[in-house]
Amino acid sequence: MKYGVEQEQDWNALADEAFRALVRAEVEAHHPAGLRYPPRRLRWAENKSWYLRMAAKGWIAPGWPREFGGMGLAPTKLLIFLEEMERWGIARFQDHGILMVGPILMRFGTEAQRRRYLPPILACEEIWCQGYSEPNAGSDLANLRTEARLEGDAFVINGQKTWTTLAHDATHIFVLARTDKAAKKQAGISFLLLALDTPGVTVRPIRDLAGHDEFCEVFFDNVRTPASNLVGELNQGWTVAKSLLGFERIHIGSPKLPEYGLQVLLSVARARGVHEDPLFRERLAQLQLDVAHLGDIYGHFTAIVGRGEPLGPEVSLLKIWATETFQRIADLIVETAGDCGGMAGKVAMADGRIEVLAPFYKARPTSIYGGSNEIQRNILARQVLNLPG
Amino acid sequence: MSDDTLRMLRESAADFARLDAARVRRLRGTAPGFEREVWRQLADMGWLGVLIPEEHGGLGLGLHAAVIIAEQFGRALYPEPYSASAVAATLALLHGDNTELQRRLLPQLASGELVAGLAWQDERGGLELEQCAVTVGEQGGRPVLAGSSRFASVPGADGFIVAARSAQGLELHWVERTAAGLACEPEARADGSASARLHFAAVAAPAAARVASAASARAALQLALDHATLAASAELLGLMDCALAMTLDYLRTRVQFGKPIGSFQALQHRAVDMYIQKELSRATLAAAVALADDPGCTPALRTAAASSAKSRTSQAALAICKEALQMHGAIGYTDEYDLGLYFNRALVLSAWLGNASAHRSRYAALVQGT
Repeated sequence: MKYGVEQEQDWNALADEAFRALVRAEVEAHHPAGLRYPPRRLRWAENKSWYLRMAAKGWIAPGWPREFGGMGLAPTKLLIFLEEMERWGIARFQDHGILMVGPILMRFGTEAQRRRYLPPILACEEIWCQGYSEPNAGSDLANLRTEARLEGDAFVINGQKTWTTLAHDATHIFVLARTDKAAKKQAGISFLLLALDTPGVTVRPIRDLAGHDEFCEVFFDNVRTPASNLVGELNQGWTVAKSLLGFERIHIGSPKLPEYGLQVLLSVARARGVHEDPLFRERLAQLQLDVAHLGDIYGHFTAIVGRGEPLGPEVSLLKIWATETFQRIADLIVETAGDCGGMAGKVAMADGRIEVLAPFYKARPTSIYGGSNEIQRNILARQVLNLPG
Repeated sequence: MSDDTLRMLRESAADFARLDAARVRRLRGTAPGFEREVWRQLADMGWLGVLIPEEHGGLGLGLHAAVIIAEQFGRALYPEPYSASAVAATLALLHGDNTELQRRLLPQLASGELVAGLAWQDERGGLELEQCAVTVGEQGGRPVLAGSSRFASVPGADGFIVAARSAQGLELHWVERTAAGLACEPEARADGSASARLHFAAVAAPAAARVASAASARAALQLALDHATLAASAELLGLMDCALAMTLDYLRTRVQFGKPIGSFQALQHRAVDMYIQKELSRATLAAAVALADDPGCTPALRTAAASSAKSRTSQAALAICKEALQMHGAIGYTDEYDLGLYFNRALVLSAWLGNASAHRSRYAALVQGT
């Protein structure tokens, strides 16, 4: 079974720097200039030309093994690939299919599920979103109420998901649903796949504080999905869902966003004429060091991944430090902007226009999503510091 | 040097350097404030010579090894002046341009016969080498030192490497403690150790005792200070790790309101923030040492790396010790409880060779370039 297009060569056989040069050349030659460093999450209609090109080239799934149609990059090569994307300011698309569904099907899926779902993910024909959070199941995710009842050869789903990122760009959703109401919390949850065009599904965008509609509510009213769309064992969905959390934390812990924040901070400070002010310089230095030290500890964790070793619960500290550093930078941007700190969109400052509040709005939810920072601190306290419950 | 050598060094250093709180308390406020016998033992282990080349009686292991030893000294709160003598003064001598003096003194430093201090700051302190207030003048046709230096390390040393300004520029001179015209006035530090104010009244400064001429003194002194700054950062890392471990133990065992206080989320989250600062310190020190030890590293990058590490470790050690005190409650504020030993050493090491604020400013000046 061939899942995707043929790879041009064995990338891992290249020297690191040769591989980096090759990725960089591809990016610089073909990535649309207007899409670099967007101040908000791009919609599929905006960035699909780039990602369809990547799919056609066989570069859409750099971390997947070659047998499943990925580039099969070894950890160090994968980091180089991601660094080059970040360096050029390339925005993610709704890539939960690549980052989550694919790896989960490789690990927990049946052969039939892989044949059905992996090829359209690789071709970007089917786009996935994540149905985890609910109105009463945020940090306490295991409290979720959306239920799925097995009726004949289908699960019938009723309930509601929320904060579903870019559901309006997606064709499919993976859903954590309660399949055993008698069992305690984590024990009665299953992992289901569902096409969003199934009758009974309603997707409604939620407008956020920045005025964007990145996330959505998804309602399920007697929605039927074939029983063959159950991933892993019945009632074992929690194990399936948890298996990728370490990866998510290292991704959120990248220094990319704080570094972007520092750039905006310097632009705003220059525009306001305070960049030489000693008080500003002292505060800037503190933040620059906070970001530099984030880079040091990010390097520590990526080296662990690079050696092929598992990430322990310690990686939660990376998410905390990255997001809170970004927020401190964003706060100083708003403060430094002075009277311009309450202006929407691209604000005229000195000789140019700066989207002053973009980092601020981007920074606020980072400490909420991916497991709130309070949850991360609970994890560290219990699992790393061995403090009593 | 191989990872295995470093691992073995770390293990033997950890094994040797255990906290002897009674000894630490006994030596507070005494002169010289450390024990020559322990210093000899350190020499026998080879640790005083890790930065000294083999031809001068050392092991020539390099910065990584020195940092590993310094971290263990921090854990055990050793009063012996490892970072000041075996790192700072030793490197200033080694990177000067007086090979005859190196041949004479380096073996004595490696063997522990000689303890050396370093005097380079003026009354105000700070990180600027130019602020030196000792000058090389002439008396009766012979060069002499005049002026004073403050915050000199190791008042009980056998001699000092002294930064002094001549017509040619900054120079380094070796001055024995017993030299005529030298007055050494100790100033007590928060942990019971001391630094010195040195007064020079026409102290002879013969060419034979000139550690570094103006051609090499600045570079030698800056390198010595950068590496000593990394060693001090490692001591801070070791002590903050111990202060945090003590606090976590206390949180697990101290019972109030019928449960261990470590079960309270307000305290758990603060403990996590202490842990994050410690882990940042560890990662940042490791990155800075790797950079400073790289033969391709420029002096400016090395100095920035030292500032990066010292700014974080100074800030983190103080923050952790203050939180540790609060979480212990009143017992933490008593002199009989060992936490206070870490607390007071953190104050001393955070301020020594530049505090967090001074290093942030210097880091900014070196990297901001705007």
